[in-house]
Amino acid sequence: MIKETRIILKNIGKINPESIDDYISAGGYKGLEKALGLKPVEVIDELLEAGLRGRGGAGFSTGMKQKFTSESCLKCPQRYVVVNADEGEPGTFKDRVIMEQDPHLYLEGTIIAAWAIQATKGYIYIRAEYYESIRKTQKAIEAAYKKGFLGTNILGSGFDFDIEIKLGAGSYLCGEELTMLESLEGKRGNPRIKPPFPAEKGVFGMPTLVNNVETLANAPLIIANGKEWYRSLGTERSPGTKIFTISGQVNKPGYFEVHMGVTLRQLIELAGGMKNGKPFKAGLLGGAAGTFVGASMLDERMTYDNLKEKGATLGSGAVIIMAEGDSVYDILHNCLRFFRHESCGKCVPCRVGTTQLVSEADKLRNGHPDKKSLLVRMVKQSEIMAATSLCPLGQSPVLPLESAGRYFEQELITI
Amino acid sequence: MQKTIKLTIDNKVVKATEGENLLQVAKNNNIAIPNLCYHKKFSPTGACRLCIVKIKDQNGLIASCGVTAKEGMIVTAFDEELEEARKYLLDYLLSEHDETYDATYTDEFRELIFRYGLDKKENRYFPSIVKELAYPKDETSPILSYDAAKCIKCFRCIKACDEVQGKNVLSFTNRGIHSYIIGGFDKWGESECDGCGECIQLCPTGAIVEKPHREEIQLNGDIKKVRTTCPYCGVGCQLELFVQNGKILRSNGVDDVSPNYGRLCVKGRFGYDYVQHHERLTTPLIKKNGKFVEASWDEALDLIAQKFTEIREKYGKKALAGYASAKTTNEDNYLFMKFIRLVFGNNNVDYCTRLCHASTVTAMLRALGDGAGSNSIEDYEHSDYILVTGNNMIDTHPVTATFVKYAVQRKGAKIVIIDPKWTPLVKDAYIWLQPKLGTDVALLNGMIREIISNDLIDRSFIEKRVDGGMEAFEALKELTEKYTPEYTEKITGVPARLFTEAARIYATAKRPLIATGMGFSQQVTGTHNVFALINMMLITGQIGRVGAGLNPPRGQNNVQGVSDVGASPFTYPGYISVEDANNRRKVAEIWGVPFEELDGEKGLSTVEIMQAAYDGQVKGMYIMGENPMITDPNLNHTEESIKKLEFLVVQDIFHTETTPFADVILPATAFAESEGTYVNSDRRVLRVRKAVDPPGQARQDWEIVAEIARRMGKPLGNYKHESDIWNEIAKTAPIFGGISYDRLDHQGIQWPCPTPDHPGTATLFTEKFNTPNGLGKLHPVDHVEQSEKADIEYPFILNTGRILYQYHSSTMSRRNKSLTDFANEAYLLMHPDDVDRCGFKEGQMVRITSKRGEIATVVRRSSEVLKGELFMPFHYPEAPVNKLTRDELDPYSKIAPFKISAVRVEAL
Amino acid sequence: MIQETLKTFKPEQQNLLQILHALQDQHPQNYLTEQALEETARYLKLTKSSVFGVARYYSMFSTTPRGRYIIRICASPVCELLKVNTVIAHLEQILAIKTGETSSDGLFTLELSECLGQCQEAPSMMINDKVYNNLDANRIKTIINEYKQKNHD
Repeated sequence: MIKETRIILKNIGKINPESIDDYISAGGYKGLEKALGLKPVEVIDELLEAGLRGRGGAGFSTGMKQKFTSESCLKCPQRYVVVNADEGEPGTFKDRVIMEQDPHLYLEGTIIAAWAIQATKGYIYIRAEYYESIRKTQKAIEAAYKKGFLGTNILGSGFDFDIEIKLGAGSYLCGEELTMLESLEGKRGNPRIKPPFPAEKGVFGMPTLVNNVETLANAPLIIANGKEWYRSLGTERSPGTKIFTISGQVNKPGYFEVHMGVTLRQLIELAGGMKNGKPFKAGLLGGAAGTFVGASMLDERMTYDNLKEKGATLGSGAVIIMAEGDSVYDILHNCLRFFRHESCGKCVPCRVGTTQLVSEADKLRNGHPDKKSLLVRMVKQSEIMAATSLCPLGQSPVLPLESAGRYFEQELITI
Repeated sequence: MQKTIKLTIDNKVVKATEGENLLQVAKNNNIAIPNLCYHKKFSPTGACRLCIVKIKDQNGLIASCGVTAKEGMIVTAFDEELEEARKYLLDYLLSEHDETYDATYTDEFRELIFRYGLDKKENRYFPSIVKELAYPKDETSPILSYDAAKCIKCFRCIKACDEVQGKNVLSFTNRGIHSYIIGGFDKWGESECDGCGECIQLCPTGAIVEKPHREEIQLNGDIKKVRTTCPYCGVGCQLELFVQNGKILRSNGVDDVSPNYGRLCVKGRFGYDYVQHHERLTTPLIKKNGKFVEASWDEALDLIAQKFTEIREKYGKKALAGYASAKTTNEDNYLFMKFIRLVFGNNNVDYCTRLCHASTVTAMLRALGDGAGSNSIEDYEHSDYILVTGNNMIDTHPVTATFVKYAVQRKGAKIVIIDPKWTPLVKDAYIWLQPKLGTDVALLNGMIREIISNDLIDRSFIEKRVDGGMEAFEALKELTEKYTPEYTEKITGVPARLFTEAARIYATAKRPLIATGMGFSQQVTGTHNVFALINMMLITGQIGRVGAGLNPPRGQNNVQGVSDVGASPFTYPGYISVEDANNRRKVAEIWGVPFEELDGEKGLSTVEIMQAAYDGQVKGMYIMGENPMITDPNLNHTEESIKKLEFLVVQDIFHTETTPFADVILPATAFAESEGTYVNSDRRVLRVRKAVDPPGQARQDWEIVAEIARRMGKPLGNYKHESDIWNEIAKTAPIFGGISYDRLDHQGIQWPCPTPDHPGTATLFTEKFNTPNGLGKLHPVDHVEQSEKADIEYPFILNTGRILYQYHSSTMSRRNKSLTDFANEAYLLMHPDDVDRCGFKEGQMVRITSKRGEIATVVRRSSEVLKGELFMPFHYPEAPVNKLTRDELDPYSKIAPFKISAVRVEAL
Repeated sequence: MIQETLKTFKPEQQNLLQILHALQDQHPQNYLTEQALEETARYLKLTKSSVFGVARYYSMFSTTPRGRYIIRICASPVCELLKVNTVIAHLEQILAIKTGETSSDGLFTLELSECLGQCQEAPSMMINDKVYNNLDANRIKTIINEYKQKNHD
């Protein structure tokens, strides 16, 4: 059985998350100190060469993102860091764990990122349901100000950086980076046209770096311990660790930080095995905007690239386990209802498509003369939605739908 | 100059301008990529997704509205996959859509449904869910209906309101499939919507449709569309009137042409119904035994000719006078002016410009050599600093205001407002300076001093372009020296830090425009106010460039043109003095009359004419399309004057407050029944075209004028058509020399335009000023105390002005239900503290009394006015505020001080 | 009261969501009144629809009165897998309301929520700011009674 490798979660359970002194004695803010001694471009290079990839789901190179942001619109008077703490992907709670149990870690990462792109103002956009995360983060910010890690002339470096928390109010879509920026500006959560990317025109029209909590939590560790150390973890193309959140039919659901590249079977073992010893039926990887997998995928390595190759996703690291007797149809239907509920309504394929897909899914259960063709048609429909939708939400239903059809067609057309 | 690039769309090489978006490039090249949410007037939305294309070396389907065209791009706009996806999208839209169609609007979505064969139910896949969705309708607005079941949620209305009109009144409610458009809290009628209807014009599906004439219009029937110029304010918006069965049923803005580029305000879009109002005058009326009886044209015209002739013979030619009209065409006014000078034989012709911008024009003529706005209306969009002085442009020039708001909201320009009263533009203002009424000169002198003491003057401009150079500047410096920030603050009540900053950023702005208005001009010190403004402009060199200058938006549709064509006691066509004998000689030749017949002595101005009538010097008057019994100051006095006239002819389209005093009333045509031209605020000559027949026997003004002249034995000329008159105007006024009637057919031309190949002049004074020596002239002016002040007996200072929904004396505007539904009641604005101190209640009737008269109206609490100051709109005949105003005149321009009257207010 | 709350924020549109949270929280019926929305619009110099549109977009805001306690039950796939539907049925029974409704005593409004991120201890719900995990019929009864008791005292 594999073991966890806790680097991001190393402090958890060991320090009082509300004590900045605890965090400092555990080696905290060393990465920031070191980063401020480097040139911003050197910080970016370090992250770039460490191979850190965004942990929000898309897996884009963090260093590249920072590089683009730092180099765009040099005459713009302001650039921003926005922390995406709007963790809403069903089955995902890794960011919540960091925010509740070691908030200084990602805060330190945020300040490092700000230095790297020379931002003087940052926002942490947290979903309002995460009451405890908000409280702990607020406390951490206050403490960091007192210690001189935030504010003017941070650690005598001459660098100024202010940060404030912004709240969501119940919208999954606001986890999408451009939509988040709209929400942050006090507007409805309608996605913007891409391009321009946030790096070019982000919040208030200024270059903006949007990074996920877990991604930023990696930064202090990479800076403090060096890129070589980081590359020694995980795989060649997906270095480092990943926090998986495992839920559903396992004995010990929870969060687990492991090397990139573990298999699904290993993860289930880590989570105490299947609940009551029931046989494994399906996994939903990456949440609602994720993919179903069957038993044939149990031994595939869970990296961004390998899963993509096999038609699955790693996404946010959510792993929802289903056992024999659980209904894939019900969970798929749940996902489709979810998309209908969260569609903002701006673009036609998503607004109408998510609604029509739920009606079609109802027909699968309520009797239809040719369920097999209906399912084919639904997949086709979701593909067109994916091809034509404005933002990732309308591009998502195809993921659970197509994969459920691939592994569980029989169940879906005989329900 | 932007670069031209080449790209390939569906194997066709097309040219584009660098930076253009791909969908627009396709449209420009007649490649009909379907689209619904895109419109070139605003930023791409990406909502309908129909404009998807494939681009070589890029993944997937890409919405072309969000793509910038690049050199060498290879684009596929049509293939099976794209067309299948589009069909899916249209099918989706249909499933949430109420597809009934009543032919009262153009429906772009419906056209696509037919194009893709989805009109046939068997070609559709998705069942309709529109019933279950139970979308609501919003019928609360007086001018439009919104039907969410017909809405495709394309955002065009939202962007029309936000990005085109700068109002941002609309949004969505709910989300996903349940979202739909709202105004206010889901009640359009209680929102900030001011009824401009931009959303209606840009709605692609008839979700938003105008209410007026909805029952009558049938777009699949025989519709005549006539392009003409709006009859309301001086912006000169180009309208397209929809005429069916001889009736105007709709008015849209004309896209792609100046000055409005398709935009309209509530009056332009909904204010045409007065034309077909049942109270129109349809036949000549002669007063017999105190009552008006219908008469034939011959009878009426003969009587007029006889009476005017008698007066001239009995009292001499100076005993006759005329009011021209800022509402009728240049051709009408030119002939009217010619009539006064040739037939009456004097220069007693004037019109309401004397009551609005005469001081501005006077000051500008003296200092700069031209009395008109120096820049184009659309220049506001490119300015980085806009100084708005006494100009409530959102109400009075709503379409000009859209350009101003665009500059602020989209391009970060700064607006500084000088106004004692709050105006809606204050919301967009960087700084609002709220001086006490009548302290503008002091405020500007304080700003000038701040500029000088920070050394922000433009020395080289002063040396090259200002008469007297630095020496003249020194005189100004000396005079303004005492206007220290403290001193200025004490006089004006404006905090020093505000006006000093406003001054500094004005001096350092790249393209600052000044929009001055009647709050500035309608004062005893009106000319001085504008002198002070021009002083500030000249010493900073902020004029003579695109986006820099001074612009007084004209209040009425043709107030500019009437001056331009010479309906003035002081100037001939083209602003040449009546005293200029050479010019009179030239004109006499063109008119084919002996030079001696043209009077070389200045005539009487508007208020002076009334005074002369009072004094018994003027005995007969000819009023064409004016209503002095509402618009003149000190109305009680005006009434006494007008009663003393022996003979009065009023030519109008309705009975007005003035017609009861007439001896003969003549029915004239309204704008939509007339041909000719107007000149708007930015000196643009614009065509007016006939859309419908006049009611009854009504005739166009110039024909009537010419007929009276003929019957008085002095024919004005042989005119067959308005173009004959215009071409004569172009001969007499050098500023129009190159503008033939034919040139005006597609788009207006800005004067000066001296030769047929001249393109017209967008920006004045780029090389030199139009003064005799080509230099601008400083006029150092001092602040003087107002002669009328609040005292114990009259403790309030009353200000007057206009509102969006009414126009001038409301003769036209009040005969449109759409407009009166928005506003139809006079009121007095009073600061809440004063309301409480006086013990009034909101909406209570009060009596307002000045030394000159009294009126009654309701009081409204409002923080829009300062304590001790009051405001009242001047439009309403039932509360004619000009009974209270003074006829004490600005000595230079003869303008009356409508803005400052001491009054008391008592409960009724 | 509304004005006092507004003044704790800078009058910038970017504070709109925070302001709406604060105004909703301070209302005993957990909703945004028309007056609150109107004063917010004026304070931020926004049009009414810009404020209303935002209030209607986000699922945590309500423009109609609700109970003192908002029960937000997690309706995510994980909770569904772990039988949240029986929990909802119990709640509806105890409170004698359907999801989306407010109990007759005005204490509770029952709403569904997107994933609350408590999946390791699903099924879950929140009552106002407080999270409750590992729900079953008994636990729900206890929790609801606690709130009723608290309110009684």
